Amino acid sequence: MFNKLRIGKKGENIIFGTFVLLYIGWCVNSPDMNIESLKSVLTIGLSVGIIYGLVALGISLIYTGLDVVNFSHGEFFMIGAFAGLTMFNLLGNQDWIFNIFPDAYGWIIYVVCLFTAFVSMGLFGVFIERVFLRPLTKKGGGYTVAGMGIIICGFGLSVVLINVAYLIWNPVAKPFPAELGLPMEIGGLFLPITYIWMIVVGLSVAAGLWFFLNKTKMGLGIRAVAYSKDVSNLVGINVPLYISIIFGIACAIAGIGGTLVGPTYQVVVFMGYIILMKAFAAAVVGGFGNLPGAIVGGFTVGIFETASSFYISGSHKDLYAFLLMIVVLMIKPTGFFGVQVKMKA
Amino acid sequence: MVNQKKKIGGYLLKINQLISGYGSVQILNGANMKVEKQSIVALLGGNGTGKSTILRAASGLIRSWQGTIEFNGEQIQNLPAHEIVGRGLVQVTQGKDVFPAMSVTENLKLGGFILKSKQQLSDNLEKVYNYFPRLNERKDQLAATLSGGELQMLCIGRGLMSNPKMIMLDEPSAALAPQIVLDIFKNINRIRQDGLTVLVVEQNVRMALLLADYGYVIKDGVINVEGDSKKLMYDESVKESYLGGTKANV
Repeated sequence: MFNKLRIGKKGENIIFGTFVLLYIGWCVNSPDMNIESLKSVLTIGLSVGIIYGLVALGISLIYTGLDVVNFSHGEFFMIGAFAGLTMFNLLGNQDWIFNIFPDAYGWIIYVVCLFTAFVSMGLFGVFIERVFLRPLTKKGGGYTVAGMGIIICGFGLSVVLINVAYLIWNPVAKPFPAELGLPMEIGGLFLPITYIWMIVVGLSVAAGLWFFLNKTKMGLGIRAVAYSKDVSNLVGINVPLYISIIFGIACAIAGIGGTLVGPTYQVVVFMGYIILMKAFAAAVVGGFGNLPGAIVGGFTVGIFETASSFYISGSHKDLYAFLLMIVVLMIKPTGFFGVQVKMKA
Repeated sequence: MVNQKKKIGGYLLKINQLISGYGSVQILNGANMKVEKQSIVALLGGNGTGKSTILRAASGLIRSWQGTIEFNGEQIQNLPAHEIVGRGLVQVTQGKDVFPAMSVTENLKLGGFILKSKQQLSDNLEKVYNYFPRLNERKDQLAATLSGGELQMLCIGRGLMSNPKMIMLDEPSAALAPQIVLDIFKNINRIRQDGLTVLVVEQNVRMALLLADYGYVIKDGVINVEGDSKKLMYDESVKESYLGGTKANV
């Protein structure tokens, strides 16, 4: 029965295009529609989207490398934000940095915070993988076989990490007053500088990851491990080590994402959960397991969400990401870039 | 050939009373094997007799439960797989085990993953292209677009990239046209003449025995018959238990 319902790739694209046109028409008809609002919607959408994209990148990376979906990834995002904030509070009172760099004071501290979040979350991710997830694979077969156990463990880990963060930092939302400078004017639009930081840093991290995966030897090894653990073993790759590295990199990227949103919003213990869900939607929209797709999916979800809450209804802001995910799953289940390379028989 | 015989100095790989299997299923029930330096040894047997299991145990993909595997005078049965590759023992899997979304060159570079210097990597790349000129013609194509014979060449070439002392081939002739099988077997002979030791697991008994110096026939997880390949080819028990037997039953 379902065979008859298949519509083919062209049909998928036509139906999806119709949906997109309908949606654009709806937005254009809105009374708020003008070029100014469109500009700000696009900027906010892109800056929020890159955050979803970064977390989705980590989820996709872990999915390709370990064959499991990491449901505690939002918590690495949250703890990354706290790690950045802690570093910020440590450096914020130091006069000597101000004396050395009076002009670029805020920037340098912020870059140090980003770096701290990156490194500490990377190490923390490796620790979590080694201590909590690796023992589940003891029975043999690696992550592929232990998949369901790891997914459940991910949910549990999420609760545990939230509560540990609750004990350490208590549930009050904390400001992250990074001094990055005055708002910038781009195309007649005054933007808080943090938005530009989000987009620039996020894209550089994604580009760095692309370079790392495609141009370095370790990246080659990671791609090999992602495709097949057995064959990677046979060419002499230390597969357990590489699995830790993959997990660590994914968590480090989530940590950077957390520190990036800190100055724009606030840092709070419960920020990871909704980000995880939206990043999951972004990964599905882009094509699950596809890394460029994760970033594109993040942008799509971010712009769709911002535009919808601006032009359609602001009171259901968190609904749109999942609406988009459902529509994509119905019409184009592989997502935008979910193409598998098939072997010739 | 005469030249080769002089150089032979003892055994490179010794498998002693090896017991292993998957999960709780025991496949090998005490297999004994020895592979001389710079020889080609064929390991023959029907489906499900444990040929590939011996290779997987030797290359560290599965644990050996009992018994020893000695390579180059060193016990390797409990080392992780990547360290066994580092010691010069490389398993070449069947042709479908390449990385399909990577180019031929990238696949080969992965084979030399344990090499430290780039110079050595490019030297070995040249060497492999010299063995298999077809791969050179297709070096920028994705591995997924190669034909069956080219995939097998790619797998063997990938195994040669890490400067191994010995390679173990898992059914290099599986599902290939006879002409290509001949080509690949000629290249295996060339590889041996360049100083490597080769262990071939095969179902194509006649071809394998033509190629090899020595043969082992495995049945139910133990080595049943062994001997010089010329002798094995006319051995009645081999024909009965392996060649004739399966044919008659099928």
